[in-house]
Amino acid sequence: MLISLAWKNVWRNRTRSLTVIAAVTVGVFAGVFAMAAINSSIVQRIDSAVNEELSHIQINNRQFRSSSDIRNFISEPDSVISVLQRTSGVADFTGRIIVRGIASTSTGSAGVEISGIDAEKERTMFTLSQRLIPGTGSYFGSDTKLNSAFIGEKLARELYIIRYILTPEVLESLAGKDVPASVIEKLRPLEGVRFTTEKKFSDACSGLLSAKENRKYGLKLREAAWSYREGSRIILSFLDINGDQTGAAFRICGIYRTNNDYFEAMSLFVPDNQLRTLTGMQEGQYHRFIVKLENSNLTDKVTPVIRESLPELEVLNWKEIQVDLAMIADYVNQIYGIFMALILAALAFGIVNTMLMSVLERTRELGMLSAIGMNHRRIFMMIMLESIFLSIVGGFAGMAVSGVVIGITGHTGINLVKYSEGLEAMGYSAHLYPTIGADFFLMLTVLIVLTGILSSIYPARKALQLNPVEALRGE
Amino acid sequence: MKVVEINDVHKIYHDTEVEVRAINGVTLSFDRGDFAVIVGPSGSGKTTLLNLIGGLDQPSGGEIIVAGHRLSELRPSELIDFRMEHVGFVFQSYNLIPVLTAEENVGFIMNLQHWPKEKLKARTDGLLDAVGLADRHKSRPSQLSGGQQQRVAVARALAPQPEFILADEPTANLDSKSADTLLDIMEKLNRDEEMTFIFSTHDPRVMKRARRVITLEDGRVTSDVRTDQKE
Repeated sequence: MLISLAWKNVWRNRTRSLTVIAAVTVGVFAGVFAMAAINSSIVQRIDSAVNEELSHIQINNRQFRSSSDIRNFISEPDSVISVLQRTSGVADFTGRIIVRGIASTSTGSAGVEISGIDAEKERTMFTLSQRLIPGTGSYFGSDTKLNSAFIGEKLARELYIIRYILTPEVLESLAGKDVPASVIEKLRPLEGVRFTTEKKFSDACSGLLSAKENRKYGLKLREAAWSYREGSRIILSFLDINGDQTGAAFRICGIYRTNNDYFEAMSLFVPDNQLRTLTGMQEGQYHRFIVKLENSNLTDKVTPVIRESLPELEVLNWKEIQVDLAMIADYVNQIYGIFMALILAALAFGIVNTMLMSVLERTRELGMLSAIGMNHRRIFMMIMLESIFLSIVGGFAGMAVSGVVIGITGHTGINLVKYSEGLEAMGYSAHLYPTIGADFFLMLTVLIVLTGILSSIYPARKALQLNPVEALRGE
Repeated sequence: MKVVEINDVHKIYHDTEVEVRAINGVTLSFDRGDFAVIVGPSGSGKTTLLNLIGGLDQPSGGEIIVAGHRLSELRPSELIDFRMEHVGFVFQSYNLIPVLTAEENVGFIMNLQHWPKEKLKARTDGLLDAVGLADRHKSRPSQLSGGQQQRVAVARALAPQPEFILADEPTANLDSKSADTLLDIMEKLNRDEEMTFIFSTHDPRVMKRARRVITLEDGRVTSDVRTDQKE
């Protein structure tokens, strides 16, 4: 009965209640959506780190990470393989040969980390092969006698392998991408001109287009003019197992694009047998084993097991390699909680105000309730329930709106391309796909109910302080 | 059988350094089935006396015993329970709960007392019939006239089967016809159920129907006349 009475009381002053509910709805939506966007960014970053860059666990010779000396390979790979094969939770693993070297073309050079990989195995274990930019190759797929290399877009730019050209075909294709004919005509002077960097191309376009046109069509122009000649070559130079300078020409078998500029610029992949031949390393010798687990939640459980079994080697999981990311991942729930608690605390003041008005308007009625036998506990409960209803209705509405918006944007994505340079430099995607776990909504529900309870205390105390005789005497 | 005993009760208010003796040595008792009115000029202490009898206020001196309970010995929380169990209140301004229907208002106290649903429904239906509102069960107070609201208030007061009903100026806001209807209902309930009614009023219509008229002046009982004995 109290529940029903409290619910009806909430709707006595419909406008006032709806105003508070709307405020709670907007506040909760803003908080949840912001959390979902931040969360998506972290989830995507962790996913990239685990599936493209680091894997769950890495096993190295203890000196390898600090010195990167080619001779610091794992001396007893068979024992590693044996341990990994019998460790439960390990889904798959593979070995890599890793050397530091220089990649160069006729126009540029850059320091790189060259990983010799079992391409077929890594295709099944990781998703980097899916990051291949269409039209740039086939991820070690083409049958060629030449050495082949899979490189990042950022490195390709640094080596001037990627160029920007507005060919007649490209200019024609712009019409199909909603670029007006007037803009295409303005760009005619650039037809056939090769630009070695994106900046030079953008500057040239800016000189011909208005600022508004440049803002509106700049990205489409850059994407259309992006040009790569399949099968371009680069020279890789590095030291062999004897410490002698060596190297070879490699044909680019594909360019990958990730959200991590640093990784793209530094990480270059070649087949392990080719690198083994060039470095003089023996069959079965590896610098690193990378281990994929059945799921990420096993990371903290499996790492110590492997570490204990291989005490002479360095065993690190992704959290230990990327400490900052691990910290964010670990504390993200607490951060969510604090963030939402702050939003709800602000909303609580609105609820307190509304409930206080409601109590003061009902002085005579509350006096009557006390007179006819409604005790303090019940009056307190009634006010508390009213307050909880206000919070819950607004909170659930906010969560429902958030759910819908997250559902839509989680599918379509949020384009932050304007900030892509900064975000990708830190390894975060410029395209967010908001997502948030059910546990967050559970935590939020608890926080909302708590907000309702806390917001009711002051108004309820006011109601209890009423003397029934005085309350009945006048409003 | 005595329902209420009031022995040398005093009520003193200390208002802005002035001592106001609202009730000054009242000794009275009410029997089961009384239909009594307390009359007197404004400020004579009628409402104060009603509040003391109903356990809404505590006397400054003297003793009030209701249904065997010494009210001065009850803690505030016990007084609330006492009111719920033993006293029915009818207020001048009806004081129904505006968001509840007529039947919900009548059943409100029974709900607080956890009456079984079916018994509660039967009692509510019976009372609404008795006060002539059989067809207004689902009406909210705002959909009822003043007289109808006061009848709902009477039904609510009677619902938990209290020892007596305290009615403070119950007809003050009603027109003659509504007042007569209400008094007819109260008289009938008094006669049929032997329910004790204690009114405070200025209304001659109520005084005319009362079987006992107690006059208060300056917080003292100046007369206590049983009109049925008079006849």
